[in-house]
Amino acid sequence: MVDIFIWLISFFILIALVVLLIYQLTCLADLEFDYINPYDSSSRINKVVLPEFFLQGFLCLFYLLTGHWVMSLLCTPYLYYNVTLYTSKQHLVDVTEIFNLLQREKNQRYYKLAYLVVLLFLSLFWIIFSSLEYEDD
Amino acid sequence: MGTENPGRPSFPMRPSSTPFASAPPTVRPFSSSGPLAGSESSNFRPTSPGAPPTMTPFSAAGPSPPARFSDPSVPSPPIKPVPPFGMPYHQFPTHPFPSAAQIPPNRAPPVGQPPFQPPATQVSVPPPSFRQQTQVPLVPMGSPPQNANFPLPSMNVPQPPSDSSLSGPRPNFQPPFPGYPNKQPAVSQAPPPFPAQQGSFMPPPAPPSPFPSQQGSYGPPPRQSLTEDFSSLSVASVPGSIDPAFDHRTLPRPLDGDEVPSSFLEMYPMNCDPRYLRLTTSAIPNSQSLLSRWHLPLGAVVCPLAEAPEGEEVPVINFTSTGIIRCRRCRTYVNPYVTFTDAGRKWRCNICSLLNDVPGEYFANLDATGRRIDLDQRPELIKGSVEFVAPTEYMVRPPMPPLYFFLIDVSISAVRSGMIEVVAQTIRSCLDELPGFPRTQIGFITYDSTIHFYNMKANLDDIFVPLPDDLLVNLSESRNVVETFLDSLPSMFQDNVNVESAFGPALKAAFMVMSQLGGKLLIFQNSLPSLGVGRLKLRGDDLRVYGTDKEHILRLPEDPFYKQMAADLTKYQIGINIYAFSDKYTDIASLGTLAKYTGGQVYYYPSFQSGIHGEKLRHELARDLTRETAWEAVMRIRCGKGIRFTTYHGNFMLRSTDLLALPAVDCDKAYAMQLSLEETLLTTQTVYFQVALLYTASCGERRIRVHTAAAPVVTDLGEMYRQADTGAIVSLFCRLAIERTLTSKLEDARNSLQLRIVKALREYRNLYAVQHRLGTRMIYPESLKFLCLYGLALSKSVPLKGGYADAQLDERCAAGFTMMALPVKKLLKLLYPSLIRIDEYLLKPSAEADDDFKNIMKRLPLVAECLDSRGLYIYDDGFRFVIWFGRMLSPDIAKNLLGSDFAAELSRVILTEQDNEMSRRLMKI
Repeated sequence: MVDIFIWLISFFILIALVVLLIYQLTCLADLEFDYINPYDSSSRINKVVLPEFFLQGFLCLFYLLTGHWVMSLLCTPYLYYNVTLYTSKQHLVDVTEIFNLLQREKNQRYYKLAYLVVLLFLSLFWIIFSSLEYEDD
Repeated sequence: MGTENPGRPSFPMRPSSTPFASAPPTVRPFSSSGPLAGSESSNFRPTSPGAPPTMTPFSAAGPSPPARFSDPSVPSPPIKPVPPFGMPYHQFPTHPFPSAAQIPPNRAPPVGQPPFQPPATQVSVPPPSFRQQTQVPLVPMGSPPQNANFPLPSMNVPQPPSDSSLSGPRPNFQPPFPGYPNKQPAVSQAPPPFPAQQGSFMPPPAPPSPFPSQQGSYGPPPRQSLTEDFSSLSVASVPGSIDPAFDHRTLPRPLDGDEVPSSFLEMYPMNCDPRYLRLTTSAIPNSQSLLSRWHLPLGAVVCPLAEAPEGEEVPVINFTSTGIIRCRRCRTYVNPYVTFTDAGRKWRCNICSLLNDVPGEYFANLDATGRRIDLDQRPELIKGSVEFVAPTEYMVRPPMPPLYFFLIDVSISAVRSGMIEVVAQTIRSCLDELPGFPRTQIGFITYDSTIHFYNMKANLDDIFVPLPDDLLVNLSESRNVVETFLDSLPSMFQDNVNVESAFGPALKAAFMVMSQLGGKLLIFQNSLPSLGVGRLKLRGDDLRVYGTDKEHILRLPEDPFYKQMAADLTKYQIGINIYAFSDKYTDIASLGTLAKYTGGQVYYYPSFQSGIHGEKLRHELARDLTRETAWEAVMRIRCGKGIRFTTYHGNFMLRSTDLLALPAVDCDKAYAMQLSLEETLLTTQTVYFQVALLYTASCGERRIRVHTAAAPVVTDLGEMYRQADTGAIVSLFCRLAIERTLTSKLEDARNSLQLRIVKALREYRNLYAVQHRLGTRMIYPESLKFLCLYGLALSKSVPLKGGYADAQLDERCAAGFTMMALPVKKLLKLLYPSLIRIDEYLLKPSAEADDDFKNIMKRLPLVAECLDSRGLYIYDDGFRFVIWFGRMLSPDIAKNLLGSDFAAELSRVILTEQDNEMSRRLMKI
């Protein structure tokens, strides 16, 4: 029973992460098509960058504490990437250079998104798996 | 951070202490960082155009009779290693160039193979008859015996090769052109020119030069086309001589300054003048594959407000009744290349080819040839550059008045160096000439560890809490107060002993004052910002960082505050010009960011002393204040279907993918952009470019300046090279290389620059070498003859040269920011300054001299041989004059110019106008 809740919580965290990333991507796309100006775009993105990082870190820790160390291990590359970005102070988009970096920022977020989607499916699988197990019991 | 200072006395006052008193007094160890640049001349070493290094690989040649040099074209045999060449390299012990492997690429086409393989004889242009032989000797250069034994009849060049000697080898190579045996005489008839080819660069303006004639006699290619196709440069060593048989005098040198290719203009006479828009090549490739073989950048350099000579000003057009005519779809402005159809009722946009309606008021009938009958009354339909008066749709707010705000550092170093005095005097003297009278606004803030605000409203009867409105006043209304203030400013702070600098908070304060209107903010900074937000650390002291992957971080702003601030300033239409004066590290990399993203400029005076640099500061500040400036501008460049501008380089901030935000722009700013092809194949014959700059003129009128140009689409790579514009290419290269230094090592930036030039020349060579069998020569199109030289000059320029020791970090960054903004002409002059000998001129009697003035103003090549120790030279790179006094200069001249105490240290001498004829004449120059 506890397991199902754990997987449900992680599932929602993952959904939240995906939403945050999609939000950032839409900001970038809007910028590219000139719907918003770089000031708004970058301030919107920068507002959610740290929440995203913290949420992801929390998820990793959460898996570890609940004993799902394989999932935790799967989260670490992402976490490591975020930490290196943060320590080299490149985690925020640079409003002055945003157009030159647009492609890179977008690609980076697309990869992250793909990564999260994989995790999402895994956790979905675990939800179903553990609920089936629960019923079997 | 408190930016207002309540309870501060109003006008003539010593500022009271401010909230910053509480700021932690960070004690900054102002240890001197590295060597201080002493005299100006040391800042910029003359770039000797690099002929010499090319030769190093050959110097190992064995014995050889110097008699070889008896060749007529080489009057004075440069047999000894020429001292000046050695000099620059002594100064660069860690210079990445000394390795022979790197240098040749600048001159020699193919990398990776011995650059000049060759005939190794004086006949560097082997007559085609020797073709076989010239291709045989793929001998490694350093083996003189082989070269010496080499059975070339042409070894005895002074003796014209006779017919018979030529006929010998002929059978060997005849096969390629069996059909032309009887043209042989052409070769033997041209004996005299042969020696002249020794180390020859063929001066292109001499079409009947022997070389093409020989070619013409052989191959099918018509000789005329060959001369047009390319110039060539042969660099062959004479075996055995210590010195390369390379006559540096024959190298192409841009002594006439920048040459703007004119064929472009002739082809499209309605194009805007090249001073506004220059394409790197005026032949646009029609396919991706063609573009990929053009290894130089494809793009444009735009200087929208370039100063036009008298009589060529851009006409101003007022479309009051019809509104500005623009294409419905792509928003292109009406221009000379639009076509009118349907009896004048419709016009076709030249950029997107959409058919637009002609508004009723703008209608005019077409004549028999399809041209409008009112063409001569419509400058926008015949001129490539026009200005439209913009109606209110183009304004988001009423046009702003010209606004100058001064942020002046008054800490102890500023006082000591005399900077404040010079600045105050200069501003005062320019008050009359500030553009935009009577709307001009002006304001001042000074700061050290505190920020001092000045109430500029002149009512002393009603002293009270200064309102923000009083900090910024209309110049014409408060003229007296401003003048009094400027007069008293130097004395106000003369006893200041404050060493701190609250730069960040002062900047924020100025930002708040100006944010209502925007305008130009001039910052005079004398030390490293040490207090409050945006304080900076001493960086660049750690020698271990240099040469590593972390090196470039020093050239980037340290604190994100500066980028964020720059973005905010641009948003509120504030342009920043930084004047930095410190003798110590001031982190120009961070400060300059403010100027970079606000369309401004960085002026740097290392170890400013008013005695020495005062004149320069005075001149540059006066120009900054009085030149025509466009306010709250945005610029966009449009181009035809199939191509797209992708990257932009310069000092500005991008507001959307293709919109440059320029809070304050003037005639000394240029912007570069690169083009890419979107479609695989361009089907149109011509592509059009249109630069539109929407700005507020100082007079308060909103205007749109539109420059239109057309360029042909070509399918031939050779045509692209022939239509190339060296100036624009160098300008674009310069910006690319400087941007590269911000992300990688200096060396990488230089290498990539060299590599691209080499690749381009190799590609060009492949185009022709096979056809003409020019086995050993370096060939290049006439249009690119200076490219190598400028490329080398660029890699020796301050932002790129050498390693750590060759330029101070601050100087490097400042020069980088400057060069990112320079228009093509000024950049070329900075890269290849003019050197003029003036002692002869000065000694002449006056009447004669005046006639002579034009004559003497000819530029000398920048090689040390040109410097005669008895001469007096002026070296002018557009930013300063360096006057070189020869060691054996006649004392009379020196005395007249410098006064009686000329024995004093020369670099510190101020050139004042002495009371004599000679000196006055010098100053005139």
